[in-house]
Amino acid sequence: MSLSQLLYEFELAPFVVQVAVGFIIFSVTITSFAYLLILIRRFRGYIYDKRQEMLEPIIDDTIINQLLFNEYTEDTADVSAIPLDITVLKQAPFRGRANRQILIRYLMQYRKNMRGINGLLLKRIFLELDLDKDSMRKLRSSSWISKVCGLQELTTMDVSIPDVNILPLTNSKNRELRAAARSAYLKLSKNEAFKFFDVVTEPMLDWDQIELFRIITSSEELVIPNFANWISYSPNKTVVEFCIKLAVHYNQVSAADAIVKLLDSHDHELRAHAIHAIGSLKLDEIEHKLLSMYPSQPLQCQIEILKALGKIESGKSYDFLTTEFLYANNFDIRKAAARSLVKSRGITEDTIAKFKEIVTPENMLILNHCMNPLIQF
Amino acid sequence: MKSILIVEDDALMLKIILKILSKENYEIDTAVNGKEAFEKLEARNYNYDLVITDIMMPYSNGFEIISKLKQHGTGRVPVIMVSNVNHENIVMEVFKAGADDYIKKPVMAGELLIRVKKLIN
Repeated sequence: MSLSQLLYEFELAPFVVQVAVGFIIFSVTITSFAYLLILIRRFRGYIYDKRQEMLEPIIDDTIINQLLFNEYTEDTADVSAIPLDITVLKQAPFRGRANRQILIRYLMQYRKNMRGINGLLLKRIFLELDLDKDSMRKLRSSSWISKVCGLQELTTMDVSIPDVNILPLTNSKNRELRAAARSAYLKLSKNEAFKFFDVVTEPMLDWDQIELFRIITSSEELVIPNFANWISYSPNKTVVEFCIKLAVHYNQVSAADAIVKLLDSHDHELRAHAIHAIGSLKLDEIEHKLLSMYPSQPLQCQIEILKALGKIESGKSYDFLTTEFLYANNFDIRKAAARSLVKSRGITEDTIAKFKEIVTPENMLILNHCMNPLIQF
Repeated sequence: MKSILIVEDDALMLKIILKILSKENYEIDTAVNGKEAFEKLEARNYNYDLVITDIMMPYSNGFEIISKLKQHGTGRVPVIMVSNVNHENIVMEVFKAGADDYIKKPVMAGELLIRVKKLIN
């Protein structure tokens, strides 16, 4: 049957049959297309594996010979003075972009596993082969995934990135790119690592803050500034909150004035963070202010005030904490007050005996819970 | 000839440690997970001069390997733990478990060699 005959039959067929045939053709086409894509992808993966299999012995031998069997690495700490023979990595198989990318990947893996003079030699190899240019090219790509790859490569190899390239990325609308750029900036910029706080307009999400906090607190080379500046003047609320957390972590009592000023902020979340910080820094001179502002605060701030009083441990707010524990309507308030009483060592055997006579069963339960040493305050 | 068992699931890290230690004249066995390590230990009747092990691995972790060595009880096999975990609690746990040394990844070749020589001799 010829095509024209088939079309003629199709036109004469009932509408339902026409729809069914159209649907079948569409499904077969889409499925075939999907299988074709899968095949292409598998073929590319196969080619990549073959390429990697071919290059891996050359890369491994060269790198290991230059690093671990290089007799000069033990005599000198000056990396630039160590003779390196990486001619083979500059030749034919490594001129193509795909093969250079494999080489970058291997260098990164080695760099993650080695430090000291060998780590510096890996960086030198990376630079001498102009692989940093490949990574910098990725930063100019329109694809955010390429930009993140470029950032990771440069960060792993400890190659600094000019501010003009990286600072705009720290404020990208793309969350992953923003997070990667901020992490990279902190890792690579030793002296002005926090400069991007000045340009941040996008919010720092909780997960971003956790990751940045980890990088900052685990870095041994980072110069830690006084965070009071950003606490006082940053227009970005999340930057202020993050800087408060950092100031508490580094016990920056010099940032106390900036934190205390936030007690007058209209934003109750900022006030809560400031109160939390005051407790953590044990600023007992602010205790009276916390007590005086307590009645006018929303629940979140009241709970933070109770916690802060417990951390300050001055003993002056014992009566206040007892009153809140015994008579507050809100369960969370009573719990926070009980925890602070226990924390500030206001609970003695006599106190417990007195409480048993007057507290409700629920309050006794709260108190016993707070006195459990496994409960961390 | 002194014998060393290296237990490491990261292929590149294993290669690096092997190359570092190949500078010295050691007899080296390798295992890529805890299960294989136990098999190698039993095959040699725990008769190694040193064990270098990662902490986090499939099947059994480094702490279980140390525990196994202690249970066996015949002689004292020194253990070096190698890991990229830098939390101070982990470091304390490593020494509490009975390890003789701890090296944080990324490793320095010279440092690893010195620590191995110190324990094995």
